Amino acid sequence: MVFSSILFLFRFLPIFFICYFAAPKRMKNIILFLGSLIFYAWGEPVYVLLMLFSTLVDYVNGRLIERCRGSRKAKIPLVASVVVNLAVLGFFKYGDFLVHTVNSLTGASVPAPGLPLPIGISFYTFQTMSYTIDVYRGNAKAQRNLLDFGVYVAMFPQLIAGPIVKYRDVAERLHERSVDLQSVSHGAKRFCFGLAKKVLLANGIGMLWADISGRDYRQISMMTAWLGILAFAFQIYFDFSGYSDMAIGLGEIMGFHFPENFNYPYISSSVTEFWRRWHISLGSWFREYVYIPLGGNRKGLPRQLVNIVIVWMLTGIWHGAGWNFLFWGLWFAFLLVMEKMFLGKVLSWFPRIVGILYTAVAVLTGWVLFAVETPSGIFGYLRAMLGLGGFIDRDALYLGGEYYVLLLIALAVSTPIPKMLADRLEKSKTGPGMALWRLGEKVIPAALLLLAIAGIAGDSYNPFLYFRF
Amino acid sequence: MNEKNNAAFTIAILASIILIFTVADFFRGDRIYSETENRLLAQKPELSRTELFSGNYASDYEKYVTDQFAGRDKWIEIKTNTDILLQKKEIGGVYLGADDYLIEQHLPKDFTDEQADEKLELLRQLVEEWNAAVMLVPTADNILSNKLPANAPYYDETELLEKAAQLAGEDRYVDVYGILREHRDEEIYYRTDRHWTSLGAYYGYQAWLETMGENPYPYDVNGMVAADEDFLGSLHSKVNLNRQPDSIRYFPETVKKPMKVLYDFQRESDTIFEESYLDTKNKYGFFLDDSHAVIEIDTPYRLNKTLFVIKDSYANCFIPLMMTHYQKIYVVDPQYYNGRLSDLMEQCEPREGMDVLVLYDCIHFLEEFRYQ
Repeated sequence: MVFSSILFLFRFLPIFFICYFAAPKRMKNIILFLGSLIFYAWGEPVYVLLMLFSTLVDYVNGRLIERCRGSRKAKIPLVASVVVNLAVLGFFKYGDFLVHTVNSLTGASVPAPGLPLPIGISFYTFQTMSYTIDVYRGNAKAQRNLLDFGVYVAMFPQLIAGPIVKYRDVAERLHERSVDLQSVSHGAKRFCFGLAKKVLLANGIGMLWADISGRDYRQISMMTAWLGILAFAFQIYFDFSGYSDMAIGLGEIMGFHFPENFNYPYISSSVTEFWRRWHISLGSWFREYVYIPLGGNRKGLPRQLVNIVIVWMLTGIWHGAGWNFLFWGLWFAFLLVMEKMFLGKVLSWFPRIVGILYTAVAVLTGWVLFAVETPSGIFGYLRAMLGLGGFIDRDALYLGGEYYVLLLIALAVSTPIPKMLADRLEKSKTGPGMALWRLGEKVIPAALLLLAIAGIAGDSYNPFLYFRF
Repeated sequence: MNEKNNAAFTIAILASIILIFTVADFFRGDRIYSETENRLLAQKPELSRTELFSGNYASDYEKYVTDQFAGRDKWIEIKTNTDILLQKKEIGGVYLGADDYLIEQHLPKDFTDEQADEKLELLRQLVEEWNAAVMLVPTADNILSNKLPANAPYYDETELLEKAAQLAGEDRYVDVYGILREHRDEEIYYRTDRHWTSLGAYYGYQAWLETMGENPYPYDVNGMVAADEDFLGSLHSKVNLNRQPDSIRYFPETVKKPMKVLYDFQRESDTIFEESYLDTKNKYGFFLDDSHAVIEIDTPYRLNKTLFVIKDSYANCFIPLMMTHYQKIYVVDPQYYNGRLSDLMEQCEPREGMDVLVLYDCIHFLEEFRYQ
């Protein structure tokens, strides 16, 4: 089930929250757990067992680590957990890719498993791994209550598209949490904003990319190519950050505080900064569980550069089992290494806008690798972006006319400016500013909710990008 | 208002939006068919174990809930108006043209030269074997190109028409493009539908006369009768905007009795105009009873000449004009006729021979034309 559907908004959501809030405190977790299983099983009636299996494995491993605490034997369940999670992920997500690669390298013809990717597998395996590692490191206590642990893994708000919540961030609230009206109201508003981002911006602008990406790249002009990749950049950002907003908002309604996942990535003035602002929960996962254990920046510059390359290769293929995703990761590794070595310093000589433009070009080029997938398509597209197929044509002018308003809105919402204006209004404690704020904070989320419902009901175009991961 | 009340108020507003429509959705009945969208809506799927575990049940159920959602038509309208507010000039494959024209979009990338050549080859056979006359009608985007949004892309049909003209030859190719282009400031296409109007068809008739060297029947353009004044066609359904309806007109000269119409060798009628369609959304069905595989018309004109028309729905408002020229007219739509066309033609052909006419709009010609 996706959040941006009639089924979720007008079946699951009201029924779930009525049950959840009507239930006494000790029943809330069981309702949340069962609700989450229904939510997941709706889309994955078979793979729900895989998720439960993964949950059980990590629960047991966590307990075993706790029991062996202090002895060397504690390493065994840790290794078991990591191996099982990576094996599950490897088999279901990378099985086909590995088999195809081996086949093409050796000329063998091993049949590929050809299984569909279980929804959310990349998210929940990473979550449960963080749990056992944290327990092993002593950063978290093993969960004794299987239900509470099940809630951590399966909780429907973040189950299928993150943010990747570390166990220790929610451990206490799994057991004991409370909400007040302010946080429910805040969470509900956050959900509406996220839904509007997904339905009104991501889906709307996604149609531009769907149109351009389906064309013959030898016949598109430079302006069309840039419009297209700009549209994809906004689509993926609003799709994913909208989903994160919805998850965080739903969590807040129930008293959870999930970590922020995006912090206006498109205003970054370097690629280094971009990765601190984009998909933060994934970045911090890799930093904590891969980059720092590899030695981070503590073992000299050459080693640090190698570590960067390793982490971004992994980040790349986390996003999908394909060579293009690997190259996408390597592209960023290359830029990060450059910035570490000299580029960061060079950029600091110029005004911030230069850095922002450089980052935009770097990230948009990255999105070509990400979105186009085939080598010939990627080269064709980059060629068009360089203007080798002409600079401007009727198609580009037409598309520009069709989408310029949406692009401008998307651009504005990608910056912190709207939020800053709203915050300023909120701080004006008295007078018309406050009245305007009071009105706006109710009318705007309600209006966005209604428009988003219209968008969902009135438009069959409602794919969700991050399901592939 | 203190902070707590303020928050409670916000929650109440948002929750009631969700709850009101949830409850409304609970009490609405299922619709089979959507008038505005002109299509069957998804129905409640049957639950079975295989469907459930394959995930089909979930996706069918989701389609069902979305299609049947309370106030669906209203939501679509809101969505469309949002798009217009965002300055979009194309909605769901329909251009919002000048002078309130809705014009169906046909993108160049959706039509290949191979596809055109394949259809033209079939057409060539038909012309060779039956000496057929060829009448390909350009769609509104090609004729009313001045009414399209700025820089709007459209599939240019002139190349197709030139090739068709070449293979049919001067005395078999009816140049509709030229005459429609001349009259493009008149009401030759519906504003809310993809078809040409009876006036458009009348100009097509003029072009036909010229090619065939026939004597014109004195149809009076100013004497056309409106069968219906509120026709909102299929393009209107796609965008669902508040628009001025079109009128459906016909030439009163074409209702002369007695005549006999036989639909699909079964149902008999005494008119080619089916008034019952005027009470439905599909008012264009007024002409020739909408879609049929085979129609056999015995006209009141004793001319001892037979016409065999291979066509799509563009022909439906044109065929009435043919009645004054033929005693018998066969009308076949290959989209609905499953048999071998050439066999049927041989069966129908009287001893003294018959005229054959191919009449399609250019897009349907590329998409639907068949001959074997």
